[in-house]
Amino acid sequence: MVGDIDLEPDDLPEETDEEIIDDDPVQEGPPDDELVLKAQQGDVHAFDQLVERYHDKIYGLTYNMTSNREDAEDLTQEVFVKAFEALPRFKGKSSFYTWIYRIAVNKTINYRKKRNRKRALSLDAFDQEIKTDEAYHDLTSKGSPLRNISLTELQKKLNEALQNLSDKHRTVVVMHDMQGIPHEEIAEVVGASVGTVRSRLFYARRQMQSELAEFMK
Amino acid sequence: MIGEKELIEGSAETEADVMLQKLLHLKTYERPETARMTRNRQNIMRKVREAEANRKKSIFERLELSIPWFFAEPKYGIALLFVAFAALQYANISSRNASRNQSTGIYTTSQLADTYQQPAMLAATNNIVYPELPAGIRYFPEQHQSSDIMFVNRIEPQR
Repeated sequence: MVGDIDLEPDDLPEETDEEIIDDDPVQEGPPDDELVLKAQQGDVHAFDQLVERYHDKIYGLTYNMTSNREDAEDLTQEVFVKAFEALPRFKGKSSFYTWIYRIAVNKTINYRKKRNRKRALSLDAFDQEIKTDEAYHDLTSKGSPLRNISLTELQKKLNEALQNLSDKHRTVVVMHDMQGIPHEEIAEVVGASVGTVRSRLFYARRQMQSELAEFMK
Repeated sequence: MIGEKELIEGSAETEADVMLQKLLHLKTYERPETARMTRNRQNIMRKVREAEANRKKSIFERLELSIPWFFAEPKYGIALLFVAFAALQYANISSRNASRNQSTGIYTTSQLADTYQQPAMLAATNNIVYPELPAGIRYFPEQHQSSDIMFVNRIEPQR
């Protein structure tokens, strides 16, 4: 059964005693813990480094959750400012990465609840690198249903299908299928069991497949 | 009802799954403009600096911050100390005057004494009604002599 994501009134998640999951193995510069400690002591430059490190990931999450780049920029800004303000209360029970992801997920879901869910799409353009991608070649090869569809139209359909998912389902799809975050880490971020995350992923994929059925033939 | 285990087993990659994953993979090529992202990071840090500036500092942090200023500008520091000293003196005088005006009424002028409200206890004591005694019995012995108190430099009447 799909569980609920517990949201704090101020979008700030409680820290859990769960085991800390390691961040990206490849990480330049000082570790997060050190930067967090400095930032807690008022070192804005240390926080700047954390922003530099996680900005793209948080933007990617909020953008794919909203399919609106202006909203995503606002949300990314709010997430980092909120994190900075709440940093003195961060005890390091979970990793900074998990903590800030939780803030981002909660903030984005609350933001969507407050605003009209059916906001107009405002999408970032596809990078030209896409044309060198193997998946793109497969999808646009002879006999593929995507052969005669424009990239812009495909992008629109894809984002619409994503936005038709529930918040919980979209969260796991974005984190797992787009950002490549393992089930265990997603479970920690959304405060659910790994089984629940897998289950949500399953249903979300089924729904997307039916939404994009015309391209799946 | 489909169990969780069955769900996971059933999620073995089908052709549709692979197709969907490829489609979702394409979304990773939706990339924001570099300039927008740079501006966004700058805005975040501007907001963070504002938040840091507005963060309430404890009195010790404030003192710690002001110590270098005190030494950098000694004349202003000394002037500040003088002002603080004068303010304390003024506060002390004011509090002394205030306590003097809040008299208990014992040492006061006759005009103020009228306005002074006696405690209810005192008023009650003055209204004690003594019982009537039979004739010939007195409460206190009749004083034929002056007080027993010997006053300095006072000429006592000859007994």
